[in-house]
Amino acid sequence: MQVRSAGSHNWFTRLRRSDISTALLFLLPSLVILGVFNFYPIAGVFRLSFFKWDNLSPAKTFIGLDNFIRLFQSERFWNSLKVTAEYTLVVTAVSLFLGLVLAVFLNNRMLLGKSFWRSMFFLPVVTPTVAAAMVWILLFNPGFGLVNVVLRALGLDGLNWLADKTWALPTVMSLGIWRRLGFTLILYLAALQSLSKEYYESAEIDGANALQRFLHITVPLLRSTTIMLVILGVIDSFLVFDQVMVLTRGGPDDATEVIGMFMYLNSFSLFKLGYGAAISVVMFVVVAVFTLMQWRFVGFGSAGEAE
Amino acid sequence: MNLLRRLGAEPVTPRKARTTLILALILIPAAFVVLVPYLWMFTTSLKVRGTTGLPPYLFPNAFEFGNYLKAWQAAPFLRYYLNTTIVAVAIIASRVVLASLAAYAFAFLRFPGRNLLFLLFLGTMMIPFQATIIPSYLIIRDLQWFNTFQALIVPRMVDAFSIFLLRQAFISIPRDYLDAARLDGCSHWQALWKVVVPLNSASVVTMGLFAFLFAWNDYLWPLLVANSEQMRTIQLGLQVFAGRYQTEWTYMMAGTVTATLLPLILFLAAQRSFISGLTRSGLKG
Repeated sequence: MQVRSAGSHNWFTRLRRSDISTALLFLLPSLVILGVFNFYPIAGVFRLSFFKWDNLSPAKTFIGLDNFIRLFQSERFWNSLKVTAEYTLVVTAVSLFLGLVLAVFLNNRMLLGKSFWRSMFFLPVVTPTVAAAMVWILLFNPGFGLVNVVLRALGLDGLNWLADKTWALPTVMSLGIWRRLGFTLILYLAALQSLSKEYYESAEIDGANALQRFLHITVPLLRSTTIMLVILGVIDSFLVFDQVMVLTRGGPDDATEVIGMFMYLNSFSLFKLGYGAAISVVMFVVVAVFTLMQWRFVGFGSAGEAE
Repeated sequence: MNLLRRLGAEPVTPRKARTTLILALILIPAAFVVLVPYLWMFTTSLKVRGTTGLPPYLFPNAFEFGNYLKAWQAAPFLRYYLNTTIVAVAIIASRVVLASLAAYAFAFLRFPGRNLLFLLFLGTMMIPFQATIIPSYLIIRDLQWFNTFQALIVPRMVDAFSIFLLRQAFISIPRDYLDAARLDGCSHWQALWKVVVPLNSASVVTMGLFAFLFAWNDYLWPLLVANSEQMRTIQLGLQVFAGRYQTEWTYMMAGTVTATLLPLILFLAAQRSFISGLTRSGLKG
């Protein structure tokens, strides 16, 4: 037990009476792991971004901000940002909208087997991305993929989805939405379940119909959940990599080359490690800004409503 | 069951019956669209080889279980399973131990700089993996750990999210329990494993589930540091297999089914603890 001595202002006395030795022992393993594989690398990536290094020659050349200057002058970089932004916007917006609508239906008290439905919609979230991407390749196969089969049955022409410059990105997005929907649904549902019934009862007395109740009561009350889901969705989409790597490797041309892919290709195909580090720094800054926003608006780890 | 009781207690008006019907009419097609990829994967995995191009059907009418055997013979899937299991178990075990220790320190121990250090730990949550991947890759290279289990395990032995999750759980238990244990002469170590962790077993299990899914679904890091035939984990192995047997859809989907099944089963078995963990923390994307 700690004995609080209010009178002691001596730092050393306080230190001796604290649990410093136990704390050090308990924290040491975590400190080492996080230090070596988080703090040191993030410092290292900033340092490396000021060098030109091809990974083969031992010599790194200090080139100051040249990597960043070249990056900001590179059309391919801006293209990757544009592709990532489009992906992020569509996947986040659609998965939020569908997640909210489905959550409202799942929250209806007349619904039978709520947890069954919830599990079904959540399955894609726990499905390995690589495995899901394999199925996507098959679903969108130009010859016998289910999507083209259905389109042809409707009298439309099928497409070569993943090889088409216009349609490759929407195809990748569809996988992103499929994988994200369950997550937004679950968090919206949890938030809906915590809402007070009173709002709805008084609205019903006022004669508001279901759509009006949804737009004027549900949506505003879910504001903080929505903000959190937007920020988490933006971070998640901005870092998308696995499904792009498996589905298209950024192609055709650079139609699906998201920034994660662009970083990977420069760093681990071309082995331009300094340049790759500069891209990493840009990714870090964007994610850090959105994470700080989340902590500012939502706080750590509160999925439910803040009110 | 609750609902049946509610339905029984209240008179079933035509309006309520209509609501139930409308819900079913909306949710069944929606769930169907979400689940079609699984069905398509499963059906294709059971087709007779070479018939994938024929008029398609959604529900299996051929049951060529030999495809699974062929897939498993064509690639060392057993090896991939074993590798992934070793990595997953090691990561779960080390996170349970290390994150519990750190969470205990942040929740109950008093030492100078505690809040600052906790904030520093939390700060790592805003560092995306892709931002640190080049230096991490170079560390593994300098340690000469390419194609070893260490490379897949050691960097993931603990993470800020697990520590945060457990710390939030730990601080919610009544302080009296801990004080009583300490007065009985328990050391901090004993108090942690005999009182705090057992009281928070649900949160520890949730954390373990997240760790398992993470290890099972991991792709980019193994791709960079452990891409030899002997060391591949399941997702990486699946991708390499697919690259080699691109047009053999039946085998490819058989391989995909085996790579997908375990996380799905585990989730369905533990979905309550999983979803409540997710909604309570809300942090994991």
